[in-house]
Amino acid sequence: MKKNYSLIFGVLIIVILSLIAVFAGLISPYDPSAIDVDNLLMPPSGNHLLGTDGLGRDLASRMIYGARISLSIGLIAVGIATIIGLILGSIAGYYGGFIDTLIMRFVDIMLCFPTFFLILAIVAILEPSIFNIMAIIGITSWMGVARLVRAEILTLKEREFIQASRAIGASNFRIITRHLIPNAIGPVLVSATLGIAGAILLESGLSFLGLGVQPPTPSWGNILIESKSTLGVAWWITVFPGLSILVTILGFNLIGEGLKEKIG
Amino acid sequence: MDKLLEIKNLKVSFYLDNKTLAAVKGVNLEIANGQALVLAGESGSGKTITALSIAKILPANARVDGGEIIFEGRDILKLDEKSLRKIRGKEIAYIFQEPTAYLNPVYTIGNQITEAIILHQDKNKKEASKETLELLGRVRIQDPERVSLDYPHQLSGGMNQRALIAMALACKPKLLIADEPTTSLDVTIEAEILKLLMELKKELKFSLLFITHNLSIAKKIADKVSIMYKGEIVEEGSCESIFRSPKHSHTKELINAYQKIGKI
Repeated sequence: MKKNYSLIFGVLIIVILSLIAVFAGLISPYDPSAIDVDNLLMPPSGNHLLGTDGLGRDLASRMIYGARISLSIGLIAVGIATIIGLILGSIAGYYGGFIDTLIMRFVDIMLCFPTFFLILAIVAILEPSIFNIMAIIGITSWMGVARLVRAEILTLKEREFIQASRAIGASNFRIITRHLIPNAIGPVLVSATLGIAGAILLESGLSFLGLGVQPPTPSWGNILIESKSTLGVAWWITVFPGLSILVTILGFNLIGEGLKEKIG
Repeated sequence: MDKLLEIKNLKVSFYLDNKTLAAVKGVNLEIANGQALVLAGESGSGKTITALSIAKILPANARVDGGEIIFEGRDILKLDEKSLRKIRGKEIAYIFQEPTAYLNPVYTIGNQITEAIILHQDKNKKEASKETLELLGRVRIQDPERVSLDYPHQLSGGMNQRALIAMALACKPKLLIADEPTTSLDVTIEAEILKLLMELKKELKFSLLFITHNLSIAKKIADKVSIMYKGEIVEEGSCESIFRSPKHSHTKELINAYQKIGKI
């Protein structure tokens, strides 16, 4: 069998990043919010591996804690989107008829809104806390999952083993949750992995516009925006968060592509 | 003998987008306790649809237009979904034509039989999986422990059919409906499965409705034979009388077909 390099590299990147996020407290050399007025805008050196920012905070530490925020936003937002999509998509696909029409037209309506501006509008009304951002990204990005799940269920429900489970007296709920969804999960997993990358990017964009995670909590997006004013003198504050966003998204996309090759 | 099942004037039609197709046009059938009835006929004669009507597991576009299905004194067609679920698998069980397709590919054999047990009996997982092994032994599977951990794609069609028989008999149904259970299997396996079914019928004393297009099977197992043609029962009688003096032209055709194959 051909080695699935994209899956291996993707998993490697994400495992390393996850370890960094989980053990942030142990590996970050400084307190991410500790201001050091003697060391403003220091370039990368032995003391500060990735340099310091305009307030003298250690960039490496801020990025390590930022990994925690960015990854958890990606995971939880996509988790919310996947759960909503699974529920609505499987109900639409299984019951068909009027319920299907109702749900799928709702999907069409949701798809009419440009997601990013919808999120901007909602964040402007609510306060942009981490929890709100996760929830908002989740509830504005489930439509693709719903369509995917519905299509899978439509073909799966005609399969013989579904008739067999009706014949042994399984309820509709049981048929959907135990027999249909586990068979449809492959493509959903692929789209979820790609979705995590999208959610991280979305959060970075929001933070960059000042409507994402609020300072002093570090996220890769808001480190980037803080770097804007000092870009001319301190390249490192822009380059390193940018690179880590790039690498993370690359990692998730590689996993997604690898999974697609394997299962879907 | 006591009547277990009585079908009176059953009519089933398929409702397609722009037309209605009558599949079953007024079928009458009777099965006594412990009896083996063979329902024979060519493809498309409505045998399977008649069988699926009995526990009301018809495809979504088929509907019962009229008639009664009296099972132990109750009209099944008048029951609600919840009471039907209690009958399916517990009182009336099915086995089907393509055994591998009727098993869920993502679960092990043991897992699926255990589900059939838990659905109708107040047993915990441990008791149910112990019973699963007994059931697998009962359908003459040599190594129940190993087979129960296998997935359907790892086993042959004959083994999968045995597993489905174990699943169908998990709750000791009073009526087993076998819809061409040996058609997709080769001849030696067919003989084994038929032998097994008849032995189990003797042990567990269920009634059998066996659907086939192959009258030679009727000769081996039937107490009574009904010949179905274009949605109606055209001839009925003991196996002997049907072979000795077939009245309807379709019965003659079925017998001739079987004898011709015998000569080759």
